[in-house]
Amino acid sequence: MRWMATDRVAISRRALLAGLGGIAALSAGHFSAFAGGAALLEESALDYPLFASARREADGSYGIAIIDDAGQELARVALPGRGHGIAVSPDGRRFMAFARRPGTFALLIDPFERTEPQVLTSIEGRHFYGHGCFSPDGRLVYAVENDYDAVRGVLGVYDVSGRQIRRIGEIETGGIGPHDILLAEGGKVLVVANGGIETHPSRPREKLNLDTMQPSVVFLDRERGDLLAQHSLSQNLHQLSLRHMALDGQGKVWVGGQFEGDKSLSPPLVAHMTRDSGPTLTEVPSALASGLQSYIGSVVVNASGDVIATSAPRGGQVLFWAAETGAFLGADQVVDGCGLAPLDASGFLISDGTGGLRYAEDPQSLPEILARPPGISWDNHMVTL
Amino acid sequence: MRFLIFAACIWTIAGPAGAQDFSANITSSIEGYIRPAADGFASAADDLPPAIDAVCAETTAETKAVFAKKYGDAVTAFAKISFLRYGPLLEDDRLNRLAFMPDPRGIAQRQIRKILATKDETATDAAALKDKSVAVQGLTALQLIAFDKDGEVALGDPGKTRDFICGYAKAIAVNVAQVADDVAAAWDDPDGYSSVLLSPGSKNDHVRTSKDAMEVIFNALVTGLVIAKDQDVLPALGKGPDSAKPNRVPFSRSGNGIAYVGAELKGIEDALRVAGFEPVLDEEYAWIPDSIYFEFGNAQNLLAGIAPPIRQSIEDGDTYNKLKVLTLTINSLRDTMAGELAGALSLSGGFNALDGD
Repeated sequence: MRWMATDRVAISRRALLAGLGGIAALSAGHFSAFAGGAALLEESALDYPLFASARREADGSYGIAIIDDAGQELARVALPGRGHGIAVSPDGRRFMAFARRPGTFALLIDPFERTEPQVLTSIEGRHFYGHGCFSPDGRLVYAVENDYDAVRGVLGVYDVSGRQIRRIGEIETGGIGPHDILLAEGGKVLVVANGGIETHPSRPREKLNLDTMQPSVVFLDRERGDLLAQHSLSQNLHQLSLRHMALDGQGKVWVGGQFEGDKSLSPPLVAHMTRDSGPTLTEVPSALASGLQSYIGSVVVNASGDVIATSAPRGGQVLFWAAETGAFLGADQVVDGCGLAPLDASGFLISDGTGGLRYAEDPQSLPEILARPPGISWDNHMVTL
Repeated sequence: MRFLIFAACIWTIAGPAGAQDFSANITSSIEGYIRPAADGFASAADDLPPAIDAVCAETTAETKAVFAKKYGDAVTAFAKISFLRYGPLLEDDRLNRLAFMPDPRGIAQRQIRKILATKDETATDAAALKDKSVAVQGLTALQLIAFDKDGEVALGDPGKTRDFICGYAKAIAVNVAQVADDVAAAWDDPDGYSSVLLSPGSKNDHVRTSKDAMEVIFNALVTGLVIAKDQDVLPALGKGPDSAKPNRVPFSRSGNGIAYVGAELKGIEDALRVAGFEPVLDEEYAWIPDSIYFEFGNAQNLLAGIAPPIRQSIEDGDTYNKLKVLTLTINSLRDTMAGELAGALSLSGGFNALDGD
């Protein structure tokens, strides 16, 4: 069916135009049902791998696109502002797209259903940080939020099983600036990376505590909210904001950081850990390290769980790591590359700010550019549906 | 001219205090590069339908040679607008309809095979063709049906599908000419996309200042260099000279691969020259444009040393090495433009690299 790819684009675009009418009204502050009543995707779309990512559209507006494994666009949903991460339900049939910090919206999208996206707005005194995850049964979503006046990170717990999303509670993350979140240990544990950076929406993207920041990775009991373990780096790396994570095949948590300290330094940026053992830092060959500008964007594991990819968009590199040994495996040059998703058994799909979508089969071979929708800038993160 | 003076007044009023004013650079870009390049492509594309008619009416070495020449002219003229990835080329999916690239999985080939196998009549009517898949209606599709693997014109050759292919080729050519005309007309329209760039803030919520408008134009040049290197040349190098894949260079099937890359780079260079950043650069940055033009010159010298068609000349090790050096040259051009020049002009580039999360 792959040869039909571009035909499907045309079909789904038509279907989507109907949908865009409904969602476009979002920014105007009122919602209406999908005019055409059609689902974003047909059930047959499940026959091949699907990916979703936030992006900036050619006209400068923002949205979410769903693409196939040939990089062809299947569906699109407009967002009222710039998006960031996407939480995918365990069955892959629905997802929640979050606003980029300090945004206050999230959209719950059921691409296979004839329902319009449900819009969630953060409660008073909070904004979203851009990431979240579903509970193993798909009924709950945990969203990282900033309780900015209290200067504390929380997980908003949302019941998404009903007709309307309900906020049913919250869990403290034990740190400031929680960013990425993932499920571990069979769904019993939530792992949260507290980036450590204090921000306040009154000074939107200003960092207020760089001298005293204390990032950490916490392991939380998902049901009770108890803090099970908290790991920090040594004090000389307290300015390495721990942001994005992936869980490898052996259950190790990999985390990538963004260094807020002396720009002339090239500190380690990637570490791995478990609940019981603290962080082990990895080493990047020195020839590469200085060019990364101390900044890791996405951290993603491949489908077989044995290779971790970390993107460094400021350095224009994607680095690969062996899950078992922590060894550096190689790097691909990708200008403004950031979004990563597992594709096939061992490879990755890589997206970039110039619209490119590449398939990296293994760390040694040159990634193949599958598509480059003109005018599009793919945003920081990509997910597999 | 009256429009220009009027527009200039608007910029002066609308420009935020203290911010760099790029209105002169934007005007030069549109009038001195974009519109002439779009007109050039429209004119080259208009020559395609009669060239196809001639081959199909009387298939001779002469009519084939004329078609091959006209096709090559259209490809190089397209190369000179291919990096203008904003506004008119994106409306109605025009860029993809003109050339479906990249296509490493051969989507176009498979869809065209189906059209030929079923003699799908809707493919022989330009009006119906434009609503079919973008992969089967542009210059890339025309190349697949009009040239054989050895780069020879196959259009008009005897066979069961001769007349069908002639009809399909003509429909593609008419479609390409129409899209090319639409692009040129859209750029010429003073109330069209030009006005989004020339009167920032009035037409588009996302292009509010002359800096925003300049970034649209400038960042597309940088993306053009990324495409030239990563998408047009690098895939051809494979893992080494023994596993080179010259057919991955766009338009190499028709023997226009090197010409396409050369025209693409020349277009980016010309667009940069015409934008005329020299007057707005502080003295300490005055060296940057000349250094960039020098590198563009190096790139053209490398390409000039490669004999087309690339599918044959790549077997010569020297050609392989020249292409390899070309990728380094383009890389360095990109670094200087996205780094030094963008920095000196206070233009923002990379979407993810800029202020990620």
